[in-house]
This record gives sequence, C-alpha cells and structure tokens, in this order.
Amino acid sequence: MARRLNPAEIALSAGVLALGAMAAGVTTTLPSEGGYSGIGPNFFPGLIAAGLLALGAWLMWEAFVGGWKNRGPDDAVARGEHAFERAGFLWVTGGLFAHMALIGFAGFVVAGTVLFAGVARGFGSRRAVRDACAGLVLSLGVFLFFVKFLNVNLPGGWLAPLLGSAGI
Amino acid sequence: MVETFDALLNGFNVALKPINLLWGFIGVTLGTFVGVLPGVGPALTVAMLLPLTVKLDPTGALIMFAGIYYGAMFGGSTTTILLNTPGESASIATALEGNKMAKAGRAGPALATCAIGSFIAGTIATILLTLIAPLVVEIALKLGPAEYFALMVFAFTTVAAVLGASTVRGLTSLFLGLLLGLAGIDSQTGQARFAFGVPELLDGIDVVVLAVGLFAVGEALYMVSYQSKLGEKMEKLTGSLWMSKDDWKRSWKPWLRGTALGFPFGSIPAGGAEIPTFLSYATEKKLTPHPEQFGQGAIEGVAGPEAANNASATGTLVPLLTLGIPTSATAAILLGAFQNYGIQPGPLLFQSQPELVWGLIASMYVGNVMLLVLNLPLIGIWVRVLTIPRPMLYAGILVFATLGAYSLHQSWVDLLTLYVFGLLGFAMRRWDIPVGPAVIGLILGPLAETQFRRALSISQGDATVFITHPISAAVFALTAVVIVAPWVVRRLRRH
Repeated sequence: MARRLNPAEIALSAGVLALGAMAAGVTTTLPSEGGYSGIGPNFFPGLIAAGLLALGAWLMWEAFVGGWKNRGPDDAVARGEHAFERAGFLWVTGGLFAHMALIGFAGFVVAGTVLFAGVARGFGSRRAVRDACAGLVLSLGVFLFFVKFLNVNLPGGWLAPLLGSAGI
Repeated sequence: MVETFDALLNGFNVALKPINLLWGFIGVTLGTFVGVLPGVGPALTVAMLLPLTVKLDPTGALIMFAGIYYGAMFGGSTTTILLNTPGESASIATALEGNKMAKAGRAGPALATCAIGSFIAGTIATILLTLIAPLVVEIALKLGPAEYFALMVFAFTTVAAVLGASTVRGLTSLFLGLLLGLAGIDSQTGQARFAFGVPELLDGIDVVVLAVGLFAVGEALYMVSYQSKLGEKMEKLTGSLWMSKDDWKRSWKPWLRGTALGFPFGSIPAGGAEIPTFLSYATEKKLTPHPEQFGQGAIEGVAGPEAANNASATGTLVPLLTLGIPTSATAAILLGAFQNYGIQPGPLLFQSQPELVWGLIASMYVGNVMLLVLNLPLIGIWVRVLTIPRPMLYAGILVFATLGAYSLHQSWVDLLTLYVFGLLGFAMRRWDIPVGPAVIGLILGPLAETQFRRALSISQGDATVFITHPISAAVFALTAVVIVAPWVVRRLRRH
C-alpha cells in the first residue's frame, strides 16, 4: 500500500528514539554495584532505555511501511481535515506561561485571573472583561477556601496587603 | 467469615462517624460535580481533587476519595447521555443507547436506570469485594517479591500490550511512564537518578502532575486546537424522571448481568472497564425481546453497560487494596493518594491499619446510598452544570489543574513540568497513543523495581527465582499466553 509518509509519525518515533538515547546516556553515568542482589541502580534504567530504543525503532518501521497500524477512530481530526487552530493553541499556552511567571510575585489570584482570561480567549470568547471578572471570582474563592479552610499555603502576592487589611 | 463480618462492622463504626460521613458526602458531591463536566473522566476528577485532602487525616481523605471516585463515575454517565461526549472509553457503550433515549425524550428514565443500576452494581460489587478481599489477602501474605514482580509484569502487559488498538503504542506509553518513574532518589541505594540537578525532580514526578498534565492540559490544548468551534447539542431533560413499570422490568436483569461481567474484569489485572461494558452491550442486544429498539434507544443497552462499568470500577479496588497493584489510571492515582500519606496498600495494610481499610470499604456502601439519594433529586443542578460555556469550562479546569501542581512545592518548575506533560498529552491524543499505561507505569514502575531487586537480594543474585518459584512461574506463563494468544487466534482465523 503506497501511502505518503506522515511527518508527525516520523517525528514522534524519532522523539521516542531520542528519549531512549537520553536514558541510555544517563544510565552509563549511574553506578552498577548492587550489594546482595548483584544489580545496581543502573539496571532498570538500562532496561527501560533499551525498551524505548526498541519501541522507537518499531514505531519508525511502521511509519515507513504504510503508517502506524490500527489508528483510532476515523474522524475529521485523524484524517487531518480539521485545521490546526494556531491562535487558540497559543492563547492557552500563553495563559499557562503568564500564570507560571506571575504566580510567584503577583500571587495566586492575579495569576489565576490572567490564566482564566487567556484560556477563555483561546476558546473563542470575546468578552474579556466578563472573563476576567469570572476568573477573579473563581481564583479568589479558591484562594480563600484553600488558605482559610484547608490551611494550604498559597502566595497572596499583590493582593496580600489588601487581603490583610480586610482581615483575611 | 465471622472475622470478616466483625471487621466490616468495625469499618462501619469508622465510616458512620459524623465527620467521615461529611467527608464522604463532600466527596460524592464534588466528584459528581466535576465528573459531570464534559471531557472530564474519573481519572482526571480524582487527580484534580487530590489537593483538597492534603490536610485531612488519612481515613477521612480516603473516604472522601472513594466518594469522589463513585461520584465521578455517576456524573460522567449524565454527560454521556445528555451530551453524547463520553469522558472515558468505558462510557462509550452507555452513550450508544443512552444518547438515543435522550433524543427520543426519554432522558429521565435513561438517567434513572443509570443511577439505580450504578447503585445495585456498586453495592453488589462492594459485597463481593468484602468477601473476596480477605481471601486474596490470605494468599497475598504468602507471596514473596518474586511473585509480586511477576504479578506486576502481568498487569503491565495486559494494560499496555493487550488492551488498546496498538501493542507498540501501548508499550511506548508504558515505557514513557516507567522512564518518568525513574526520576528521583533510588529507594534501595539513595542514588539520585534522572534528576538533572533539579531539586523538584529529586522528589520524583508526582502522579497528579502527570495525570492532570496528560488529561486536563493535554485535553484543553487538543480541544482548543481542533474543536473550539464545535457546537454541542445538549438533549433536554423533559418528561418524567421516573422509570415506568416496563422500564423496571427491562432493566433489572441487565443490571445483574452487567455486574456479573464487570466485577471479574475489574478485579483481575486485565485492566479497564472498556471490555466488560461492550460485552454487556452485546449480551443485552442478543437477549432483549426488543432487538428492533437497539440503535433507537433501548433501555437494556444503558442499564447493562452502566452496571458493568460501576462493578468493574469497584473490582479494580480488589488488586489495589489487597496487592497494592493498580490496574487502571484511576487506581494508579488513588495509589498515589495512599502514598502521599506514607501508606502502601497491600495485604499488610489489612493487618496494620484495619480501621482504615475496612472504614474505606464500609464507606463505599454508604457512598452508594448517598449517590442514589443525592443524584436523582439533584439532577436539575447537574444538568445546569452542563450548560457552562466552553471557554469558561476549560478556563476553570486549568485554574484547578495548575493549582494541584503548584501546591506540591510552591514552585513554578512544577507548572513547567505540567505544561510539558500537557504537550505530551496533546500529541498522544492527536496521534492515538493511550495515556493510561503511562500513568500506571509511573506509579507501578518503582514498585516493580523494588520487588525485582528484593527478589534477587534474597536469592543472592540468582535470576532463576522467577521461574523456580511455582506461582511466579505460573504468572509469567500466563503473561506469555496473554501476549501470544491474540496473535495465534488471528493467524488461525486467516487460515
């Protein structure tokens, strides 16, 4: 069956091979002495590295002879007819990274609000103010619940003085 | 037998304490609420709600978790029927007839047969668990590390290689999980492995971060990239909620047959509730006096698979509690929850902490009753949860997903790890690589390595222990049969 090569399948197979190679590289740096059992902390890593290399090779072989076998449900996405929506992907990714950057100094509530608004925008919402308000209410509620009720420590950040003066 | 009964009574003493009833109630309610959310299966529900319990005592936390698990299962079936979006593969069979019933204006009876069927299946399965667990514990106490290792390899094999569409992709997922499980301090020698000097990695990769990354972040990235504009049609909940006399007559046998199929599949490490649900669907289709209704919304096709799904979920707890071996992604996350408290499920737990184990089992009886009482009257609320617009839904899910990861070390590194797992989950979803084996590999891999090295320590490095011990040899032989049999059957069919 002559089918065009699928670049994604080849890239993923190569990724598995690369992970296997990385694991093999790390394994060589681990000690091998293992006391009574005769096997050390490097034995399982070596086994797993070998497994990943073999599986990567197997996937690559399937990718080259007719493509990966028994692919799942035959839907529009699997056939590649559904276009990848880059903007949405980037909004969600951006939201997550903004959250990552903000949470330490701006605090949980601010980071959560930004994340919420970014993800909502990615999913096609155009009502930024409403989304930010909803995100603020949710993040603040979760923050208070965790800090006051569950005694879990979360960073207050910019809102800490405000919350402090409100007696919270 | 008498001892079991006594132990269970003591368990009820624990489970019926007001505070534990409260935790169970909170668990059932939250589990249903999150489980109803479209695209959120039981595994993700349990993983997302794990941070809620960090400050609870272990018994209360695990009782809450049992509630969340059951609640998530029930909530998922509501979504499946009304929206036709199964949150997990085990719900697909329910969706076949359930959504058709909803389209025909019979959503009420479909939901009712699910709720009552779940209750009956859950209760019978819990009774079976109560009776079987002590027997398995008796046997398990006699097993050594070699036998445990063999059982774990069997679980790996069935979950990754035998189930699912592709052996090679299932195994790839498993090995990814095993690789991630290596990160951290080697429990036998104290050697740091695969930590790359990152302090957050020295603790090992938390199962919550992996599960939430794969299921929540991965799903959000997938949906936003491919289906953000997809409109979903929700079926209205009109007419009577109650089942007619005829509905009852047509439902009770499928409930029982579904339970009989689901429980054994859950309790042997043959992973996953998918097979029994489809077996149940096929059985009911064959046995029904109304074959013409199948495909149009036959109540038998909802009652059977849903009961099978629930019985199988409870069955999964048999190997989890008695052997410490998780056979589904959800069970792996539950095992992670145990480990957070420094508790290792297994036969010894029944002896060292009987109140905890039996309190948990007793709370499952209670949780089933709570679900039945809660859900049908509250169905209006759950339906409203379904109308949350997509943008808000995924935004909310990600706020919770990041919270779980961040609360581990209060560090952005865990958030970055979460995103990397999200990308991985996206790719796996897009190119049809199952994620369950990775979650199981992460949790079970380190346990398997420990047992393997213990076995060799005892035998002074003699690797033949795995085949000279009869039980271990038998399990390995069984594993080989499980791998080879499907291949042989396919060969024979061809000729």
